[in-house]
Amino acid sequence: MSGGLVFAAVCLLAAMAMAQRSTRASFALTLAGTLAGLVASLTILLGPDDWEWTGAFFLGGERVHLRLDGVSAIFLVLVCVIGGAGAAYAREYWSDSENPATAARGRVWWNALILSMGLVLMISNGLHFLMAWEAFALCGYFLITLDNRRPEVRKAGWLYLASSHVGTLALFAFFVMLATHTGTWNLGPVRDVPPPLFWLALFGFGMKAGFFPFHIWLPSAHANAPSHVSAIMSGVAIKMGVYGIVRFGGWLPVPANAGHVVIGLGAASAVLGIAFAMAQNDIKRLLAYCSVENIGVILIGLGGALVARTHGNAAWGQLALAGALLHVWNHGLFKSLLFFGAGSVLHATGTREMSRLGGLWRSMPWTAGFFALGAVAVSGLPPLNGFASEWLIYLGLFEAATTRSGFAWAALPSAILLAMAGALALAAFVKAGGMIFLGTPRTKPAAHAQESRAGMLAPMALLAAACAVIGVAPGLVWPAIARAAGSWNPAWAVARTPFSTLGPAGFALAILAAVAGFWLWKKSRANGLRRDLTWDCGYRNPTSRMQYTSGSFAGISAGWFFWAFAPERKFRRPRGPFPSGSLRLERVSETVLERLIVPAGAIITRLSHAALGLQHGRLQAYILYLVAGLAALGIFVFLEGKP
Amino acid sequence: MMIVRIFLWVALAPLLPGLINKVKAWVAGRRGPPVLQLYYDLIRLWQKGVVLSTLASPAFVVAPAVAWVAIACAAFLVPLGPAGAGLSFRGDVLLMVYLLALARFCTAWAALETGSAFEGMGAAREVSYAVLAEAAMFAAMLSLAVQTGSVSLVDMLSPAPGAGTALLAAGLFIVLLAENCRVPFDDPNTHLELTMIHEAMVLDHSGPPLAVILHGASMKLLLFAVLLTAAVLPLGSLPPLAAAAALAGGVLVVTLGVGLSESFLARFAFRHMPLLLTMAFLLCLFSLLVAWKGGAA
Repeated sequence: MSGGLVFAAVCLLAAMAMAQRSTRASFALTLAGTLAGLVASLTILLGPDDWEWTGAFFLGGERVHLRLDGVSAIFLVLVCVIGGAGAAYAREYWSDSENPATAARGRVWWNALILSMGLVLMISNGLHFLMAWEAFALCGYFLITLDNRRPEVRKAGWLYLASSHVGTLALFAFFVMLATHTGTWNLGPVRDVPPPLFWLALFGFGMKAGFFPFHIWLPSAHANAPSHVSAIMSGVAIKMGVYGIVRFGGWLPVPANAGHVVIGLGAASAVLGIAFAMAQNDIKRLLAYCSVENIGVILIGLGGALVARTHGNAAWGQLALAGALLHVWNHGLFKSLLFFGAGSVLHATGTREMSRLGGLWRSMPWTAGFFALGAVAVSGLPPLNGFASEWLIYLGLFEAATTRSGFAWAALPSAILLAMAGALALAAFVKAGGMIFLGTPRTKPAAHAQESRAGMLAPMALLAAACAVIGVAPGLVWPAIARAAGSWNPAWAVARTPFSTLGPAGFALAILAAVAGFWLWKKSRANGLRRDLTWDCGYRNPTSRMQYTSGSFAGISAGWFFWAFAPERKFRRPRGPFPSGSLRLERVSETVLERLIVPAGAIITRLSHAALGLQHGRLQAYILYLVAGLAALGIFVFLEGKP
Repeated sequence: MMIVRIFLWVALAPLLPGLINKVKAWVAGRRGPPVLQLYYDLIRLWQKGVVLSTLASPAFVVAPAVAWVAIACAAFLVPLGPAGAGLSFRGDVLLMVYLLALARFCTAWAALETGSAFEGMGAAREVSYAVLAEAAMFAAMLSLAVQTGSVSLVDMLSPAPGAGTALLAAGLFIVLLAENCRVPFDDPNTHLELTMIHEAMVLDHSGPPLAVILHGASMKLLLFAVLLTAAVLPLGSLPPLAAAAALAGGVLVVTLGVGLSESFLARFAFRHMPLLLTMAFLLCLFSLLVAWKGGAA
């Protein structure tokens, strides 16, 4: 066990060292390292015992202490899978020939990111946790800004770094206060700390997890990073924030209403996140906002678990928690798959704007197929993995509702909001898939796209297969999930699989759908298949501009959320007998960032500028300040009557 | 037993649109098409060739088949009174709702295959209105779950209805009209593409795929009619034969109701549809609140 993890760490360090010299060796080492990490974490998940290791040496006056239990192992599996798949994808996508300046640097930071995330998951000491957390945040920054010649990339990187550090600041306060209360930096289940400490953790980790309204950094960072980096940032890195919330939600005594607050944040995040996704025209921004939604889904499950635990370990809480943990995996898998797909499209056409794409299935059939599978999975539809985890969360909420106990009231609105978020996700991904891959190409680059090479398709195939397997056989992963739920709350350690019927039903559905599809295709071929133009009321010369656009498709449902979007509009009517230059532009703003954070920042800057006027270099005035200050103090003392 | 069940769903479903059309014809004083018209249409379409759009991928043909399978599997989960459901387990109600969503995904995806503005329009409407319909559907299912203290359809649908049944029935009926593209949401009579939802999405389908789509749509209508009937009538407390008769009678009444509402209502303007769906949602929500409060008091 220890050997496996040490081997993994050594491999990743060696991969960093070899990054400059040999692409192949570095990749092989990354793969070996992630595989070793995967085996180690699966061993923990499938066995009964945790792994614990205390080093003989000290760092910052503290003994190094590592621990891998069910909860950390769940997240470590995801780090390793996406870490390996992303490294494979990057070999083609960010190759040395196309990006000679940055490819090697990317490999160094990639391995450092995997290593630091692994450490964050295993470290069991507050001080060292903060160090690993900071290293992880910095690796993320350097990966996002890999292509730092573009100004929007630098801007996105700064925003990421700034918001990440706001979170880290809260975590500093959190860990210091935790250490003061417990008298040790060692982390573990604690009893006698004030419950409000949990809010600090929720904020600090929430900045990283990126749920609403702490998602401000997420869309621009994920959209502007190279696609393999977007995949690991969206699929795995934000899960580190979730890990923190899960971890300390399990270890700390939580305030009485914490579960309800987490459910509320999750529900708001789910609906608003996917509404913003629906309104995007940039495919990677759409995917980024969809991550906000999925973090919301995870939080709903986690909040349900917190509620159930504070009220006598109700059994439905275990379902909700298991759903949340399984959704951590599932979202990591299908979101990385979709980002890889988006990356392939970007690589082939040079654009992320859906209104400039279209008809790509003809030139990129494999990418289209994998993206479609990812779209079904992310919409939470059976028989794929997204449904399995959302089903668990729903089941938890429904069972909570059937108890009719007062504290479970939150299950009703959150189940309904989750359903609306699911329907919106379906709409958003029908739109994304349809606009990119179906219909006719809207621009030249889209018409002349070329399929990605096997190096990029293979990792996508791997992730797609994982999505399908978890979907049709969720019973396979249940032991691991139940183990993690048990290590979060020992009262929920034993549980029968709830998938005993759903799994086979999903399998049957998949088989039947495949057979029916094949049969109908055969039957249509046998009856005679003729190709003709799309029906446009008899018009014989359709152009690509006659297709429905991404903006129009989103129009109806986006209209319901205008209060949240606060869109900027530009509209110039066509005028005169020969109208020209009419214009209609609409841009959905980053509401929280542009309407809240930026104005607040502007006020602070203005106040600081006003204060700057006091400092002008005239000595007489400074003496006046001193005298005035002393006089004020004197008056204060005199009035209070005490020295 | 299983064969009989599948036969019932597959063979009886196309009867419903025929009945609705007959009712509409009676009200209008016409003779109307034969009740079995859809069967003739399906047989004819099944033997016809296919004209594919030049832009369409094979998914254009495969998607209707997947949608049909999804609807059929959803129907398999719905209990038929005394006969029970084909498959019943804890949480099957969620699978049923999401299977219908899968069917929606496939139909909308196939619609976008053709690159036609009409079909894009139809797909956009379908997936957008579904957001509200889904919320109403979940509120209705939650209210049944709270009412009966169970999360499997067989137990949710068999006992005597609670106090909020009238609200639930009204809400579910509106959802039925919306999900099955009947008046006032959609007009199955017209083929004017601009005003349509479902019909606009399937404009470019022909031959066997169109037959599959039409049959799937009729099966979905039957599914909603059975669901509505079973939610309202206390089928579980009746003797088996009476329960079967009550179920059949209930489905017939729902069908007549659809026909009558279609005869006396005009299609609503698009901007009013979200309002109507919101009303359905509120009705289901109030029945949920009644169920929730009813137990506590």
